[in-house]
Amino acid sequence: MHRQSLQKFYGWFTALGLLVGVLVGVGYYRDEYRPWKDYQRRFIREEIRRAATPEQRLLAQSTALQVRQILLPELNRVDRCTTCHLAVEDPSYGGYPQPLAYHPLHDEHPFDKFGCTICHRGQGRATTVEDAHGKVPHWDDPMLPLKFIQASCGQCHEASDNPAAPQLARGEQLFETVGCRGCHKLGGVGGIVGPELDKVGARRSPDWLKQHFLEPAAVTPGSGMPPQKFSETDADAIVLFMLSQTGAELPVFYASMKVIPSAAQGRRLFQQKGCIGCHSLGGQGGKVGPALDDVASRRKPEWIVQHFRDPQTVSPGTVMPRFGFTEAEARALTDFLLHQRDQKVALDLPSLMTPIDRGRDVFRKYGCAGCHGPEGKGGVPNPNAKTAQQVPALTYVADGYTKAELRKLVTNGQREIAALDPQRPVPPLYMPPWGSTIKDAEMDDLVAYLFSLKPKGEDLGF
Amino acid sequence: MKTPSPLGLWAWFAGTRVGRSIFRVGPPRSNLERSQAMVSSFLLHVQPAKVSRHSLRASYSLGLGLISLYLFFILTGTGVLLMFYYVPSTTQAYDRMKDLQFVVSAGLVVRNMHRWAAHLMVAFVMLHMCRVFYTGAYKQPREFNWLLGVGLFLTTLGLSFTGYLLPWDQLAFWAITVGSNIAGYAPVVGPGIKYLLLGGNTVGQEALTRFYALHVIVLPAVAGLMVAVHLFRVRKDGGLSRPDEPAEDAQSIPLGQLPTNKSYGLMELARGTTPQVGRDPDDEVFAWPHLIFRELLLFLLVVAFVLFLAVFWNAPLEELANPIHPPNPAKAPWYFLGLQELVSYSAFWGGVVVPALLVTALALLPYLDRRREGVGRWFARERRVANTVFSICLVIAIALTIVGTMFRGPNWGWVVPWRTPPAMTQEH
Repeated sequence: MHRQSLQKFYGWFTALGLLVGVLVGVGYYRDEYRPWKDYQRRFIREEIRRAATPEQRLLAQSTALQVRQILLPELNRVDRCTTCHLAVEDPSYGGYPQPLAYHPLHDEHPFDKFGCTICHRGQGRATTVEDAHGKVPHWDDPMLPLKFIQASCGQCHEASDNPAAPQLARGEQLFETVGCRGCHKLGGVGGIVGPELDKVGARRSPDWLKQHFLEPAAVTPGSGMPPQKFSETDADAIVLFMLSQTGAELPVFYASMKVIPSAAQGRRLFQQKGCIGCHSLGGQGGKVGPALDDVASRRKPEWIVQHFRDPQTVSPGTVMPRFGFTEAEARALTDFLLHQRDQKVALDLPSLMTPIDRGRDVFRKYGCAGCHGPEGKGGVPNPNAKTAQQVPALTYVADGYTKAELRKLVTNGQREIAALDPQRPVPPLYMPPWGSTIKDAEMDDLVAYLFSLKPKGEDLGF
Repeated sequence: MKTPSPLGLWAWFAGTRVGRSIFRVGPPRSNLERSQAMVSSFLLHVQPAKVSRHSLRASYSLGLGLISLYLFFILTGTGVLLMFYYVPSTTQAYDRMKDLQFVVSAGLVVRNMHRWAAHLMVAFVMLHMCRVFYTGAYKQPREFNWLLGVGLFLTTLGLSFTGYLLPWDQLAFWAITVGSNIAGYAPVVGPGIKYLLLGGNTVGQEALTRFYALHVIVLPAVAGLMVAVHLFRVRKDGGLSRPDEPAEDAQSIPLGQLPTNKSYGLMELARGTTPQVGRDPDDEVFAWPHLIFRELLLFLLVVAFVLFLAVFWNAPLEELANPIHPPNPAKAPWYFLGLQELVSYSAFWGGVVVPALLVTALALLPYLDRRREGVGRWFARERRVANTVFSICLVIAIALTIVGTMFRGPNWGWVVPWRTPPAMTQEH
């Protein structure tokens, strides 16, 4: 009896044992077979093919299949992209199809210090194509499409100062001129009608952003944001600028790269450091030091740079103080002086401008144009507002308000906007209080500017 | 064993000098050796030398308790492997999950096995409990073992719940947030318990540290000890429950009258309802091989099933935990979704009264229901009332869980699972 019932067990043991064995085998295969190994084999084959000497050939043949990674403890990243992208540092692979293509910019951004995902995004720890490129569920940070790659420059570099990222600079310029700050805060400056934008680049996809600019209500139902009429390239540029606003706090090494010398930065320094107190440009400025209009033709670049580093070394006895500029700042200032003519840089020094001109800058700086239109001409829709369903134009504020009243209105804002039809939703756009943001002197200039909007010769109407 | 078989090699080894020194008994060939094989082995000794045929019947026990035990073994094994890689830190835990998936050899399969075995263990412990109820097996003299079983059930939930947090992804973070909030609804002690569990008012590094310690040391030790006592009591209480058990006053046999022709004679010294008392020896078979082989087969089957799940389905891993971005809806682990559904109607009733009543009722059950009819049979007629009440509770619990799992969408609103809900735009 024992023997018979045992026979039955043997069959079961064999079957289940085989089943477990097969499953372990399948599990092993799935674990062992990883697509990156195919890419590495392809690379090794290519290296063997290219080997010029037997030694090189031997070296290529003995390359082990292994996960390669760039450890970036400061950035809290591990980038394993080079497991498949094996030739990113080898210029002789220029023009190769992916994943074996060479990646330029290696000198400026050494990959062992920067990795890949800090610019390209995606999932650095992953080792399969879909996961690594981040286009998988539950990964928030897919790879940035290449056409938006300049957004990543903006994480470390000043947008306007990076000659290698013209789209980013254009995006920032658009952001500052179309009046986004009237409703949105960025870097702590702006209105409170719309959401803050400090981390918008980490939160939103390029497609979402683009759609949001062209037709806000399509992606955010009930949004009061006026649709923007951007050209295709401008839309991409401002999307790109938005994408650069990730709010990432980078460690010192990367943040210190923020300044790359550029004429624009030199121009800003020139204003900030008060150079104009002693020197003049275009007839504006002090007479203590020489005029700088033609400095480029009088001095060699090396002389100018050295002059910024330590004036006494090239110009003994000069009264110009040593400002202690950093190397980048000295080069930026030199750049500015050498190229001021080419770029037709107008200095627009605030101290030399009229209150109205300064007020115009204030109007632009805080994005008033976003709602009130360029030059306060109006035309921005505000559905269901009593004022013709638009944000009111500012052309004739001088008729309706005294300067003190206008100042008060801008300072306190106006939360309640009279509705045309009480049954319909309240008008989405309203006037935020600007008192805590716009400084006193700026407010004076702004009011002066707003009063100046009234067309000349219409004073006699009453 | 002349014919070559998977066990042939082992049988040969057990017969050698070395093998004999290890196993004490060679491959058993007589009934004496069969019982000696059981008694001589530390691992086998926990089981009797002879078992009732009734206990071997798969249709009676369905092997549910044993399956739970095997899942516990698998979880221990895979858990230790996972501990080699895991770091209980909010900044590293999630990355370690990714590393398991992408660079650690077999890391993904081991994690999958652990995850699926954990869910299965919760499910099988529940099923085991249902089996014990429907066969009336909690009755005298097994009352205390039922109580231990209730404790093991709660410990299993605790193990699963503490493990749920460890990957530190959105799923983990918000499930534990919801789950610990349910604990916080208890009057007076609730907030204190929640604070003690989380080491703070919200889920953070303190909670992760505590859950990790509970998950890898405290609860496994508690569970292991209770499992040991549970098995010990199965043995001492007379093996698996059977119909027509001897009454409590089963006569003990005076020592002098012990039969001497049985190899397992000393066993009969045990008092009370041991398997040997009042039983016809013909109704029993030797545990080796009848029980042991079946147990091994079942173990293989469980391993195969868990492997099958683990090889073809990956354990979930969502985005990195983000305390300011709750998913909508945030759901507790599935075995608490019935409670969460109740909580959505009333935090007090769903979070406090119902679970407290349920656990109390389960614990007191064997002391309240003292009739002895219908033990050892499924759905015994004599137990119609008890079975009906239990079934109603069970159906309600299952229904609530299904509703909470599948029919609840954003803001805990009603959704139909086969229709995808409209995309939610979470605007700031």
